[in-house]
Amino acid sequence: MSARVLLVEDSPMISGALQLLLESGGFDVVLATSSADAVEIGSRQRFDVMLLDITLPDADGLTVLHELSQRGMKPLTTYAMTGHSDQETRDRCIAAGCEDVLLKPVPVQQLLRIVSEAVA
Amino acid sequence: MVTDPSMAAVPLGLDLTTERIAALEAQLVEAQRLIRDLEERDALKTQFLSNISHDLRTPLTAIITHAEILRDGILGHVTSKQSESISTIITGGRQLLDMIAEILMHARDSSEPLTLVESEFSIHEVVEQVTSLNESLVARKGLTLERYLSTELPAVRGDRDKVIHVLTNLLGNAFEFTPSGGRVWVNAGMSTDEADLVLIEVGDTGRGIAPDHHELIFREFAQVDSSASRVHHGTGLGLTIARRFVELHGGRIWVESELGAGSRFFFTLPANRGSE
Repeated sequence: MSARVLLVEDSPMISGALQLLLESGGFDVVLATSSADAVEIGSRQRFDVMLLDITLPDADGLTVLHELSQRGMKPLTTYAMTGHSDQETRDRCIAAGCEDVLLKPVPVQQLLRIVSEAVA
Repeated sequence: MVTDPSMAAVPLGLDLTTERIAALEAQLVEAQRLIRDLEERDALKTQFLSNISHDLRTPLTAIITHAEILRDGILGHVTSKQSESISTIITGGRQLLDMIAEILMHARDSSEPLTLVESEFSIHEVVEQVTSLNESLVARKGLTLERYLSTELPAVRGDRDKVIHVLTNLLGNAFEFTPSGGRVWVNAGMSTDEADLVLIEVGDTGRGIAPDHHELIFREFAQVDSSASRVHHGTGLGLTIARRFVELHGGRIWVESELGAGSRFFFTLPANRGSE
């Protein structure tokens, strides 16, 4: 069974590229473009992996993880994605329950490997 | 107009003084207004730099990701020439990202001064991490990279990310300005001049820097060759940021160099003596 990925990314340009990549890698991808959107989609279906852009237009992306945990719908593994991975951001993401922080643009092979390993 | 100093003694001088004071006050108000105006414009420019840097990242991230998808044959086979061409897009894109990161960091520092996220770490590990990341570049450029790390080095207390940034920047410059066949080295040990300071040196056998330019290169946006036709490009912020980061730690950064005789950049960081 192919892994189900919830991609939370507000920029269509970036989500387009990542969706193309992950679908070519054989994964099922559902896109959410805001925190509210992600919480709604993530509450209805279970996901193996969540790729979470932490800078979203409506709220801090990490609130998505918190909301989904409270609803008992936390994805198996969550990776935060950000443009600036300083120690403070990393600590905040890990404390919120992310597996790791990926610096954008995430090298495509790294992303494919991470998602494959998360569902292995 | 009163030009004769003796005229100042006449009663009229009192009125003149009042007038002068009024004129000076008006000038002062005008000067204050101009300063405020300039400060506002400066803040606006900083904000603009920060916004534009952020907005540049998004399309660039998409370009790089798409190019990598193509290069890796995820959408179908590519010939070696196509792959080579796509790799250039990726390299160029990543260079742009680094430059944008520098501008963004500088803009942020101007509006909201940077602070340190401190931890205790080993300089050995930092040097190891930064140099191993550059191994392929060193090989590609035909350079030799040497490490001389004192075994007696105590841990350092500071902002690991920022120290990595300084070392990456100094090594990046050394690689850029040293022709093929040259040597680049990193040397770390205790400072012999000042107590409780770790001294880190990044040296190269490259083109060197004239003594006249030793201060200039640390100034924001400054480059030794600032002409549009210059060979080496960059934001002119790399060393400004490096100096800022080192000074935030209470350290010092400087260069010893002469044209044609290579360069030796030095910086100091406080040793964490308490951990021994």
